[in-house]
Amino acid sequence: MIEPMTHLTEDERQAAADGTLPADRRALVDAHLAACDECAADVARIAEFMKRTRESTASAPAGAPSLDELWSPIRARIEATKVVALDTAGPSTSTRPFLWLVAAGVAAALVLTTFALRARPRDSQTSVATQVEADSTMLRAVADSTRAYEAEAQILLDRLEIQRATMRPEAKAAIDRNLRTVDVAIAELKDAIARDPRNPALRQLLATSYRQKVELLKRANAG
Amino acid sequence: MKRLLILVALIARSALGQSAADGPVLRAHAFDSTGSINLYVPAGSVRLVAWTRDSIVVRGEMAKNARLFFGGGRQGVKMGVEGTSRGDSEPSSIVVYMPRGGRISVRTASANIVGEGVSGEFYSSSGNIRLSGIASSVEAESMNGSLDLDLTTPWLRARTGDGHLLVRGAPQDVDASTIGGTLDVIAPKVMRGQFVSVSGDIHWIGSPAHGSVFDFSNHSGAVDLALSASASAAFTLSSVSGPIENGFTRIRPIASPPRTLRFNLGDGDAHVSVRTFKGAIRVRPE
Repeated sequence: MIEPMTHLTEDERQAAADGTLPADRRALVDAHLAACDECAADVARIAEFMKRTRESTASAPAGAPSLDELWSPIRARIEATKVVALDTAGPSTSTRPFLWLVAAGVAAALVLTTFALRARPRDSQTSVATQVEADSTMLRAVADSTRAYEAEAQILLDRLEIQRATMRPEAKAAIDRNLRTVDVAIAELKDAIARDPRNPALRQLLATSYRQKVELLKRANAG
Repeated sequence: MKRLLILVALIARSALGQSAADGPVLRAHAFDSTGSINLYVPAGSVRLVAWTRDSIVVRGEMAKNARLFFGGGRQGVKMGVEGTSRGDSEPSSIVVYMPRGGRISVRTASANIVGEGVSGEFYSSSGNIRLSGIASSVEAESMNGSLDLDLTTPWLRARTGDGHLLVRGAPQDVDASTIGGTLDVIAPKVMRGQFVSVSGDIHWIGSPAHGSVFDFSNHSGAVDLALSASASAAFTLSSVSGPIENGFTRIRPIASPPRTLRFNLGDGDAHVSVRTFKGAIRVRPE
């Protein structure tokens, strides 16, 4: 027998949310939900979470490929940018090695660019051409690392979006506030790099801000 | 059977040695000195105390309509507070005595965490975390709670969003960052330190240890280094658009390209690098 103040069990709340309650329990659970705001709110939250999950699955077109199927072309595109060589095992559950590889890729690009700048000939026309090439190499390196970090952040943002339905309002507010702070910093740094692509401090600061964002999203998902 | 009775008696005696103010004993269990504990407490408080016994004792006051789930064996235990209602949980107060050589992974939603001499991972969404004592390694994270880490440990990693982060004591290798929270560091034994914020100010007080390497990075917050008279280090300070303020009038810069200041204090046997986008960099005597 369910009484208003003993609350529904986890199983009952889940079953009430997805409509799989046994017929003989339904009336009792419904009566409890009508009398208990706390359980009713929780069931509504679970139902909303399930709805979002269904919608995110349903929004894919008919016959849409699975995540595993999607990964191969994504990996091929990342490989094409020559940022890092990823293994062929599919998306890793640990993102830390991935970020290290990205950092190593960017570092390698910086070393090559520095070498190119040092080896710059004295001839002014060649010098200008080399400088333009070096700038574009640096911008490409920045774009590559930016793309890699953004891909990582997007995966985490998608996960977070699904979790939002079950989060407490103050937790959501804190995450949004912190994300805004990091995003403003990233936007300012991108703008500054567009104006001064040869400034290594800007690239380091951008990488740091992206790392902050990815870590923040991981923390948010862990909570 | 006799052995079991002796063991239970020993654990009970250990438990009796604890403060009754911690609340009644909820569980007592024989435990390996290097065992792992996984603990979840949504709201209230968690206090973790390391001791030299091969057992764990859980004391505390449970919230109304909550129970302590507990499972595992000598090498690993999973436990936590489980409410019969969801949503905002009622606060529970949990105290765990665990072997000094063990590791714990704690997660809370809003519950504050206090640890004395414990190692492991500590996570709270909005609760504060305060850890002290000697630990083999510590990782502490909060979304917007404050962290006070007064530890002697070879490895410390700390993260918070807009909470205050204070690193003190004698950690050796430190990786600490905030998003908007202030980051204060008073830890003279740090050998490798990375301190990062996006918009929170970073304050560092003390003298870099011989041979140490520090890296400070901030976007719009300030980096303020208050150095003792005996400080000996090579400094590289650079800001894209923020001011660099040198409070040592006796310092003669080695190089001063635009927005960069390099100088040595003493023999320069430590390396300190500071980088900001638009936050001020201040170097001054303590």
